[in-house]
Parts: sequence; structure tokens; C-alpha cells
Amino acid sequence: MSALAERLRSAARTDTGKVRARNEDAFLDLPERRLWVVADGMGGHERGALASRLIVDRLAGLPDERDLQVRVQGLRRCLHEINRRLHQQLTVTAERPDPVIGSTVVALLLEGARGACVWAGDSRCYLWRRGRLYQLSRDHSLEQQLLDRGELSPQQAARHPAAQALTRAIGVAEPLSLDILEFDIFPGDVFLLCSDGLYRELSVGALGAALSLPSPQLAIRRLFDEVLGGAARDNLSAVVVRP
Amino acid sequence: MNDPLAQLAAEAVADPDLTYFAFAAGARSGPRVPPLMPTSAALPEVLCGRYRIERLLGVGGMGAVYQACDLLREQFGDPQPYVALKTLGEDFAEYPDASALLYSEFALTSRLRHANVVQLHAFDIDPLSQRAFITLELLSGCTLDRFIDEHPAGAPWGDAREIGLALLEALAHAHAAGVLHGDLKPSNVMVGDQGLRLFDFGLGQAQENRLPGLPQLCRSRFAAWTLRYAAPELLDGEALSAAADIYALSCVLYELCTGRHPFRRLSGKQARAMQLQAEASVLAPPIARALQAGLAFDPARRASLEELLQAFRTAPQPSSRLMRWLGRWPA
Repeated sequence: MSALAERLRSAARTDTGKVRARNEDAFLDLPERRLWVVADGMGGHERGALASRLIVDRLAGLPDERDLQVRVQGLRRCLHEINRRLHQQLTVTAERPDPVIGSTVVALLLEGARGACVWAGDSRCYLWRRGRLYQLSRDHSLEQQLLDRGELSPQQAARHPAAQALTRAIGVAEPLSLDILEFDIFPGDVFLLCSDGLYRELSVGALGAALSLPSPQLAIRRLFDEVLGGAARDNLSAVVVRP
Repeated sequence: MNDPLAQLAAEAVADPDLTYFAFAAGARSGPRVPPLMPTSAALPEVLCGRYRIERLLGVGGMGAVYQACDLLREQFGDPQPYVALKTLGEDFAEYPDASALLYSEFALTSRLRHANVVQLHAFDIDPLSQRAFITLELLSGCTLDRFIDEHPAGAPWGDAREIGLALLEALAHAHAAGVLHGDLKPSNVMVGDQGLRLFDFGLGQAQENRLPGLPQLCRSRFAAWTLRYAAPELLDGEALSAAADIYALSCVLYELCTGRHPFRRLSGKQARAMQLQAEASVLAPPIARALQAGLAFDPARRASLEELLQAFRTAPQPSSRLMRWLGRWPA
């Protein structure tokens, strides 16, 4: 694949949205390394933005291996290290003894006909395959936990006052538990990584319609036009990959 | 800059509603110019028209360290024009003398010349954003927390001894120069091709009556630490001391040698309340004795750096592969 063709197989964008003062999201779009990431930071002042940037900058510095298992292992080790830094190794002040400095992360790694998705938190990975949308990641949120327990209906769970509270993220607790999904890649597959500021503003139909467009660049433009045409209450980030 | 200290001197009485954490405790020379106005603006991509921010290397509770390209060095064809660049976080913008804290770190660390202490290049202030920053050598390798994580049963004695001695000698040099570190922990130690480097004197202080005139962090106004490595007396509100540094370093060395925090990752205050003692059977007896003394909850009973150095210099190698495998040592 030529360098240009390689670059064109993915597209990414982030936006502060219409309400938030600062963008705490970060993304990584490295088609030449077959690595894509979205991170959604949290914490006061600039802490959330620093946490998400630290994740993407550190992951960008990982060695370029050709073995998917080795790459996944390196990525996991790096995320565990960042978690330790932002948690037990963090210098704190007496005024703020327990500062929140953390981030969600969802990463997509591809190698040949195999792929892996690694995540913590509620940033998502979707797969568009043969006209259907699949959510590959499962949110680490209270809403998802309530649904998994079967105690509440989706509507009830969504109305829970702390529905969007995260049950896992980088920098929040130890030990960190990352979820990993490995899968085969089929011709025509399209992947979407995104923060909750994007998927909460769009229907499943709107996500699918964007991913069915012929290029990642068109898909990104459609997704952002739709969200920014609405309330855009949160920061939003997306990466679209057509392997 | 001709006189950065003069530019930074804060007007501690200018506004009683502002909180100051430097200069508050007896700066000897009076302020000569008004304080810099801190800024909450985002970090510019290029600072002072010279340092282009490239990537974030680390985030602390108080600031961040980036890799930056020194455009001047690049212009002159330097094949390695990269530096590390440290700034304080926006949390500190509310303090009128935030830049003095960073200058204090620069002034203290610049007084140290040791192979195992990070070398700083310069302290500067970006004129447009008013951001103060330090440039320092860019270190390669891994931090000690990762090294410890990769040795869950403790580092091999040869490595532990080499690292331990380098760290102890670096801290002994700092203390001899009148500089206390204040935040010793594995992630403030880099182990790499260039050897070991102790860095981040951001909570450092000059020892009492040493280096007069330097801005002093006033811990009664601004207390900061890393909970699992802070000496219990620091958590009680006492001043930073050489003994507190020794407690933190003993925690690090114990973790290095055993793979475990000495007090199950509890704070010194919690461990003292529970009267815990670091488990020592996996250590060579001289090292065990020295580290347990270094971890004494009473600072007056704590081991000295010299005692720790002596133990690390003279402790025997494990007597056999079997003993090493068993993790036991001859008495």
C-alpha cells in the first residue's frame, strides 16, 4: 500500500463542542503503525486534558512491532504504567489530597487479517460490517453495570442519576483492569472509535449511515456535522478506519 | 535573563487575600519588582520562540513535563536538539508566586553537580503567555517504578545494589549541598543508558540556614507529598527534613529489593498507627537492618544516609543459587 493510500484509510477529528470551555479529549491516528486511539480525560482545570494527552503521546511512542500479541501486550503495559503514575505515584497537595486525573481509553490495533480492541471506560469501538453496526466495546459505566445485572430496563438504567459514572478508567483506581477483544477482519469492515460526546448525540441509524459512506474522511465529516448541528454538550472525538 | 530571582520576587503583602507559598517564610531580601501575573492560558506550541513542544512525557500533581525541540540547536544542525521542558499546572495559576516555586526548583537543582542528579539547562519565562518553565536534559530509559514492576520478586541483588548505591550517593550529595528533595519515589528516578538520574526537586527545600535568600516553599501554606512515600511526620505537618528524605528513600529501596512496598502501600501515618514493621526475611540481614532503621517512624531513630550507604556497600552476594531461589539469606 502506498503511503498516501495508507494515510487515506483512516481519518480523525476532535472538537470542544458548544458548551465545554476546554477539550479534554485526545486521539491518535497512526495508519502507518496500524494504531488508533481515542481518550476522554477527566479532572478539574487542565488535568483531564493532560491525562488523555499523556495516553496518546505515550502510546504513539510504543515500538512498531509486527506481532499483534506483542503489540497488545506493550500497549497494556504502557496503560498500566500510566495508571500507576496518575494514581499511586501522583504528588498531591494537602488542599487537594485526592485529585481526579484520569481518562478513558479505547484503542484499535490491526495486523494483517486480525485486530484487537483494548479499552477502559465509556469511549467506544464500533464495527460496521455488511450493513450492520456492532458495538465491540462494552462501557465500563454504572448504566452498563445496572443493565448487566438485569435489574433495570435500558430506559430505567439511562435515567439513573449516576448512569454515566465510570466504573473503570485510567488513573482512577488500582489495580487497573483492561478489557480486550480480538477478532478477524473482513473485507469492507469499517471501525469507529469515539468518545461519549459523539455517540450520545447520535442515533444508531445516524452512526451506521455515516460509516456506510465511501471514505473515512466523508464519514468523519458527516458525524461531526450532525453533532455540531445539534446541542454538542460535550467534547467529541472520532476516528474512522477502513482497513 | 539577567536576574530571574529579582523578577520573580513576590510582593507578599500586596494583597492579603492572595495565597503565597513561596517567600512567605522569611525571604531575606525584600521583593524588588511586582510578581509576574500567572496565566491560565493553554500552553503555547512554541515557548520563547525557541522550544517547540512535541509530546507529553509525564504528568504530576503539580505540573507536566514535555519533550521539546530546541529550534536554535536544530538550526545549527545539532542532531539531538531535544530537551525536557517542565511547567507548572494551571492549578497553580491562582497563586501569585507560582513561578517562584518553579524557580526554587531550578535554583536548588542547579547547585547540584552529580552524575546521578538530573542536569538542568535554564529557567525561562515565555513573554507572551507569561508561563515559567525549566529546560533540562532529556532522559532516556525507564523510570524506577517500571523497573520495580518488571521485578515483582525484587530486583537481582547486583542491580539493586548498583541502583541503591547510585540513589544513596545522589541524595547524600544533595544533602551535603544543603538541598532536600522532598518527593522521593520510584517515578522520580530514571534508569537508562545514561545511568541513573534522580530528578524532580519540585518540592525541594534548602536545609535550614543554608542557601540564604533563596525562595523557600512555605509548607504551612502549601503542603504536598506522594502519600505512600511521605514520612509520617510530614503528614503530621512537620517541616521537611533530611530524615524525611531518608524515610522516602528507604521505602523506594525496600520496594526495589523486594518488589513490594514496605507497608502494603499504606501511608507512613497508617503504618505507624498499626505499628507495622517491614517484613525483612527476604533481605540480606545487613540490608534488612539498615532499611528497617531507615523506615523508623520516629525521625530521631531513623538510620543516617551513611549507615544505609555502608550497608549497601558491604552486603554480601547471595551465597548460592539455591539461597537466591529460596529468597533466603544466611544470618
